[in-house]
Amino acid sequence: MKRLNVINVIGAAGAAIALTFSAIVSAHHPIHGKFDFSETMELKGIVTKVDWRSPHVHVFLNVTDNNQSVNWAIELENPSILVDNGWKENSLVPGDAITVAGMRARDGSRQIWGDEVQLSDSGRLVYTVSSQAPAKPLAGRPVPRWPEDNKPALGAGPGGIGGIWSYPSEKALVEDGVSVSMNEYGLLDNINDAARVAPMQDWALARYVHRQQRQLQDDPTYLNCKPPGGPRQYQSDLGFQLIEDKKNERIFVLLGSGNRNYRLIYLDGRDPSGQVGGDDDNPLYYGRSTGVWEGDTLVVNTTGFNEDFWFTNGGLPHTSRLSMVEKFTRTDFDTLHYEVNIEDPGAYTRPWTASWDLSWLGGKELPFSLCQHNRQ
Amino acid sequence: MYKGLIKGLSVIIGVVFLSSAALAQEGHPLKGSWIGEWSGNTALGDFVLIVMDWNGEEVTGMINPGTDNIEIDNVELDPSDWSVVISADDYTIDATIENLELPSRAITGSWRSRNGRGDFEIVRQ
Repeated sequence: MKRLNVINVIGAAGAAIALTFSAIVSAHHPIHGKFDFSETMELKGIVTKVDWRSPHVHVFLNVTDNNQSVNWAIELENPSILVDNGWKENSLVPGDAITVAGMRARDGSRQIWGDEVQLSDSGRLVYTVSSQAPAKPLAGRPVPRWPEDNKPALGAGPGGIGGIWSYPSEKALVEDGVSVSMNEYGLLDNINDAARVAPMQDWALARYVHRQQRQLQDDPTYLNCKPPGGPRQYQSDLGFQLIEDKKNERIFVLLGSGNRNYRLIYLDGRDPSGQVGGDDDNPLYYGRSTGVWEGDTLVVNTTGFNEDFWFTNGGLPHTSRLSMVEKFTRTDFDTLHYEVNIEDPGAYTRPWTASWDLSWLGGKELPFSLCQHNRQ
Repeated sequence: MYKGLIKGLSVIIGVVFLSSAALAQEGHPLKGSWIGEWSGNTALGDFVLIVMDWNGEEVTGMINPGTDNIEIDNVELDPSDWSVVISADDYTIDATIENLELPSRAITGSWRSRNGRGDFEIVRQ
């Protein structure tokens, strides 16, 4: 443990407690690649600059150490998430004295992930982020429907204002019916629970454990800006939109994360192998998707995945043999129930299912979050 | 002479092709194209190129495709320590996956056959 005048490196046990009980820890990106969650520290200093840019805001801080002033970078949430929580670019200004607690950069540089930012004089917390979805109306509002076919609208619906689906109730894939404790990045509290998460083959379990033991630092979505294919696209608080193109019988899935990628779901009965154009045999991050309505549930079949990404927070492996059946059911105006059946004989011993709910944020647009921003 | 020239060109073309096709691979850790050396192999030369695939039940593949075309008979992977035994014709490779987390992970160890033995190292492309 390193002890400096103004830098107090808290022990790993303290870090675990802080992470468990802090109400404001709510990062929504795979930041383990850059920051070491087992090494937390506290800084006190004077703000020199606030760099309000996507994907992450940075606050620069002059810290006095042994009568010398050194500059630290404090990395914070995405600007749109901070705005959603009521913060502005000038909520902190140069000259403010602050205390910051967070996780130190793995490369030893003077950077930390800002878990808690506090004005030193007043003790007031700033740039806090709630992981809770906004409260829903006490009386459930009816599902909006399209007049031409009476199908549920998957977005704002006819005449409605815009909005996005966000605040997933689960942020990592875990088989339905299994209860394991993990953080919002999918990092298990107890590695001995790994085998319970999903019915993995031996090699897949070993690879999952290896990723977990490395604190998810190898996540290609963070390291290489790989798209969040598979169910992972619905595990981000940056949200998504389902844009229904009724005329062309297709649905655009627009993602707030993963560089605002989009995915297409075709409802026109086509063969999924011929829809992409160009090199149709080239496996994809989002696969090839076709859907049908079964009552009020949209059922989507997807195959054709590549193996270049993690398909869930937490690092469960998959192979190119993965096929998914997703079911989207809008249970009321403000709730979308998502269920995914995973069948991957390359990585799992049997098909399995996971599900969660998402909340409607009416009037909100997708944040402009690009992974490459602020990257070297 | 022409046979040797063609073999050499095939190896060069293979290396160039595979080097340009380097991809991340987050699925089964053995799947992919691997290039390296089996030192002291007087029969086939030090250079070795291996392509492996995973079908959900077994690892299949070929050593030096396009030149020697040695089909892999069996691959045993022990995920507890990531040790690998590759059997092909009369070759046996005992090795371990290194740097599992990297797309350019390596398999290092030794090879042996009735004609010799030596060090073995290949890197995923």
